[in-house]
Amino acid sequence: MRMEHLKCDVLCVGGGIGGLMAGIRAAELGAKVIVAEKGNVIHSGKSGGGCDHFLCYIPDVHGPDMNAYIEQMMTTQQAHNFQGLGMKRVRAHIAKTFDIIRLWDDWGIPTKQNGKYYFAGHAYPGGLRCLLKYEGRRQKPVLTDQARKRKVNIVNRVMIFDLLTRNGSVAGAVGIDTRTDKIIAFEAGSVILGTGGVTRLYPALTPGWLNNNATRPTLTGDGRLMAYRAGAELQDVEMRVLHVGPRYFARFGQATWVGVFRDPEGRPIGPFVTKPERLYGDITPEANKAIFRDYSKAGRGPVYMDGRGMTQEDYEDIMHWFPHEGLTPMLDHMKEEGIDHRKHPIEFMTYDQGCQGRVVTNEKGEASLKGLYAIGDELANGVSNASVFGWLCGESAVDHVKNAGVPGVTGMKEEVEERASLVHELSSRKEGADWTEVNVALQQIMHDYAGARRTEALLSAGAFHLARLKKKAYEIMRAGNRHELIRCLEVLNLIYLGEIVFQGALDRKETRGTHVRLDYPLTDSRMNGMIHVARRVNGKPITEWRAINK
Amino acid sequence: MPPVIDPDKCIRCGKCVDTCAEDVYFGSRRKQVPRVTYPHECAYCNGCVEECPAEAIRLRVPLPMMLLYKPPA
Repeated sequence: MRMEHLKCDVLCVGGGIGGLMAGIRAAELGAKVIVAEKGNVIHSGKSGGGCDHFLCYIPDVHGPDMNAYIEQMMTTQQAHNFQGLGMKRVRAHIAKTFDIIRLWDDWGIPTKQNGKYYFAGHAYPGGLRCLLKYEGRRQKPVLTDQARKRKVNIVNRVMIFDLLTRNGSVAGAVGIDTRTDKIIAFEAGSVILGTGGVTRLYPALTPGWLNNNATRPTLTGDGRLMAYRAGAELQDVEMRVLHVGPRYFARFGQATWVGVFRDPEGRPIGPFVTKPERLYGDITPEANKAIFRDYSKAGRGPVYMDGRGMTQEDYEDIMHWFPHEGLTPMLDHMKEEGIDHRKHPIEFMTYDQGCQGRVVTNEKGEASLKGLYAIGDELANGVSNASVFGWLCGESAVDHVKNAGVPGVTGMKEEVEERASLVHELSSRKEGADWTEVNVALQQIMHDYAGARRTEALLSAGAFHLARLKKKAYEIMRAGNRHELIRCLEVLNLIYLGEIVFQGALDRKETRGTHVRLDYPLTDSRMNGMIHVARRVNGKPITEWRAINK
Repeated sequence: MPPVIDPDKCIRCGKCVDTCAEDVYFGSRRKQVPRVTYPHECAYCNGCVEECPAEAIRLRVPLPMMLLYKPPA
């Protein structure tokens, strides 16, 4: 295997919204920047297909009191997105949003409608509307162009899979070329992780399929797992995430639909709207994302997104925003099938998104390992947060390099070769289990033993089963080619994450939100305002409770 | 399974092969009609459809992903 050596001040791992924004800002400040991307930055990441809404506080629109905006925002699903982050971080995010939106507009991502800012969706009728509608269909090509203009070196088709450290600081990373027989050693003063959230840990919508997910199948927690293996801390990994969307075409974009969620008899299932309201949408599932699943289980389903009664303006609005939210394939499908949202109520369902969690970071976005930063879904959900914290972490990373320099990695060759031996083992086996076999085995353990209902007995048994699976994965998983090798490395990351989920769920002896412990049905109020931290000690996860850094 | 390439329209530029984030076209050869090697890994993002300068690609939505709706009364 060939070995290549690249050196930079700031290495962005993952070229989604967060990684590109971090790269742009760091390069603007004079740093030598590399963005390393497993796929291709043009369409990679959760919003690689587009996005049409952005949390944005504009004083002229929302009034001079930013706290009133934040209070309103935290009554929606954003409360979950920002849980355990601390209000100081939330305020830092919101205060910066309008700056980013003005930048994006300058760069060619349209943020105004007929010359005005337009806010709609994810809102209670009559309440403050927090989400700016913007035309994000081509946002990734635009941001890529901006990064290249600032001489950011974009290295596509490289999966970074482990960090290199020196004396408690990050010093670089090891990556695998996804198409050719090459391993790349990156030497860097700061590393910014923006590899997205976690898919494929729990089963997708369609039985037996690894891929029918609202998000991307290649987002496998790579960043947080390399951070964890390098000694950084993760938080709240065991907490589960639900979302809602059309049955069975798994997609985000709940609030891009205009209509009322109704039961089979046509009764609205929530108290908020009784007719289509395009400025607000129907926010019912944000009060309880499990509500559609509960309706089905109780024999009261299916639940429909009912657009009947919408105005022509409503309809034109939907047709305009669907492509920007990345829903063109669904729109094309509806056209092909003769499905008209004005006439046909669409079935909606609850999606089980598995577990989320985040890298523990301080106010500068820095992890417990010096020089390491986390953004995007490694931190909190949403394009707005990814872009703002990408920008801010780009600044923090440059400051770190200015103060600490690039540590240099003597003995790097040996460390890289150690990682290469795993690659060689996976690639050289002539027989064994392919990545899909291991991934499905992992999913069934996660679903059955760390799923919607948890007990100490189930979790303990599941942790044991997972340990056996991990051993076997290292012994017999095989990659037939470079592409499959990348999927194998992703599955190993997911197995590590599964271990942390089991440990975290065992140690969280309470029921909170969607973490349901049948043997601990009460919410332990002493844990309000606390985060559940996991770190690796002697190869295994250990957990502890800590107060949120407010 | 998605994506589907019309070989008569395809100009063999390789843009879809270059830009697919999931690399479903892995192993395709230059200056040939791309091969959809890993259709089950498609994320239905529409990226290749958008990038194709010849409008030669469409996504076929698999049957288990068929959108379900309530028939008119």
